[in-house]
Amino acid sequence: MIRLDRVTKVFKGDVVALRDVSIDIGKGEFVFLVGPSGSGKSTLIRLLNREDVPEHGNIFVAGRDIGSLYSWRVPYLRRNIGYVFQDFKLLTKKTVFENVAFALEVIGKGPHVIKRQVPAILELVGLSRKMDRFPAELSGGEQQRVSIARAFVNRPMILLADEPTGNLDPNTSVGIMRLLERINETGTTVVMATHDSSIVDSMRQRVVELDRGMVVRDQARGVYE
Amino acid sequence: MFILGYALRETAQNLWRNFMLALATVITVGVSLAMFGGFMLFQVAVDNATARWEDGVEFIVWMNADRTEAQDAGVRELLDESPGVADWDYVDQQTAYEEFRDIFADTPELLDIVTADGVPPYYRVVPTNPDHDVVEELGQHFGGRPGVYRVTFAGDVIRDVQSLADRAGRVLFIGAIVLLGASVMLILNTLAVAIAHRRTEIEIMRLVGATKWFVRVPFMLEGLVQGLAGAVVAIVCNMALRTYVIDRFSDADALQLLAGFRVDDSAMFQINLLVLAISGVVAVIGSASAVAVHLDK
Repeated sequence: MIRLDRVTKVFKGDVVALRDVSIDIGKGEFVFLVGPSGSGKSTLIRLLNREDVPEHGNIFVAGRDIGSLYSWRVPYLRRNIGYVFQDFKLLTKKTVFENVAFALEVIGKGPHVIKRQVPAILELVGLSRKMDRFPAELSGGEQQRVSIARAFVNRPMILLADEPTGNLDPNTSVGIMRLLERINETGTTVVMATHDSSIVDSMRQRVVELDRGMVVRDQARGVYE
Repeated sequence: MFILGYALRETAQNLWRNFMLALATVITVGVSLAMFGGFMLFQVAVDNATARWEDGVEFIVWMNADRTEAQDAGVRELLDESPGVADWDYVDQQTAYEEFRDIFADTPELLDIVTADGVPPYYRVVPTNPDHDVVEELGQHFGGRPGVYRVTFAGDVIRDVQSLADRAGRVLFIGAIVLLGASVMLILNTLAVAIAHRRTEIEIMRLVGATKWFVRVPFMLEGLVQGLAGAVVAIVCNMALRTYVIDRFSDADALQLLAGFRVDDSAMFQINLLVLAISGVVAVIGSASAVAVHLDK
């Protein structure tokens, strides 16, 4: 599903964010990206979503080299990739339903699709009773569920999550991870950058550890350290 | 259809959110376009009023409508033989009648009672020396000729009007250009505020796969609406200018020399069309710059 082939990303001032990184991620896998701050986790996530392009190497998503995509094709790539933020990035003046519907609306889906898919995804994340609430009326965990619902409502092949539990307490984080696990069980590939060792240790999924831009460990059913 | 509805709804929301700023933009665009339209209106009116006096024509010999061919021939002979006449041309009755109809196109009651037979033909005369006294003396030779109704001189008034109109036109034109530049900047800034206000929304739109144009269109439409609303303000101002200033100016008895100082409907329509087109250009430049600088970066 995802293949990075000797990828190097250098930022201005010769800061090497990723150095010669090669990773293969199969369809339906759940992969944790771990490592200290500045190790390149977020850069890797941004490259997978084609928010940035590498200086060297190739990134293949579903067999396609996304580095060589024309810029006008990028939105169509992103429709197959869900994105969950650490800080939720919900629209404060929209209700839960509207926040999730927004993701469909802006890719041109009609009202009938929205009416069918949004309640279904809100049911999946356990917020069907709160679809008329505004983000400020929800707890942090509930807001992150809305964010996940928005990322998954279009049923993407891949879900990228950048520190999705970073702003949540441990108990709430467990609920979010269960939700991501359920999404993964539907066949969606999940790539999650995290600092949360307890979550990584408890889930025993594949762990790719980065340090100073290099892959220093790639372990099936791994732990944080 | 759904996408169009979305774009229109977002445009309306953007405008409502920054209502005061949008209003300021509309007024600035309106004032600048009204100045430009005013410049055009005065140019057309002055051109109409002074059309007979262009190309160095300093006096006109008006013939009687019922003059004979011999009388016409006499005037022509004198024009050809006078060393003080550099050039002349003859405006026959039919052409003079058409000019009359053009000038008074908005006064059908006058057109109904005047026929081609009642309109005098005339000679437009370009003297070798445009000095006022010389021209006056030269014109007097024609005044008493058989078949001549009267001689009118361009004189200082016409030249002053032309000169004043030129200067006022330049000021209006430069002012309009400066204000149009300000309008572009204002549209750019209004859109920059709208874009900044929706930063998170735009980020989400991009990440979930909205196309560039889907993100851009509501902002570009917002700029276009502001530009077109400004054009409507300008068109209303220009209609009022024609009705309450130019038409009254031309009707004033004291300004007989400026009979014909008016703007007909077709010229008004063309000016309004031009104002509309310029508003579109201003809006597109402002919006495109805002999108390029603040959205696509």
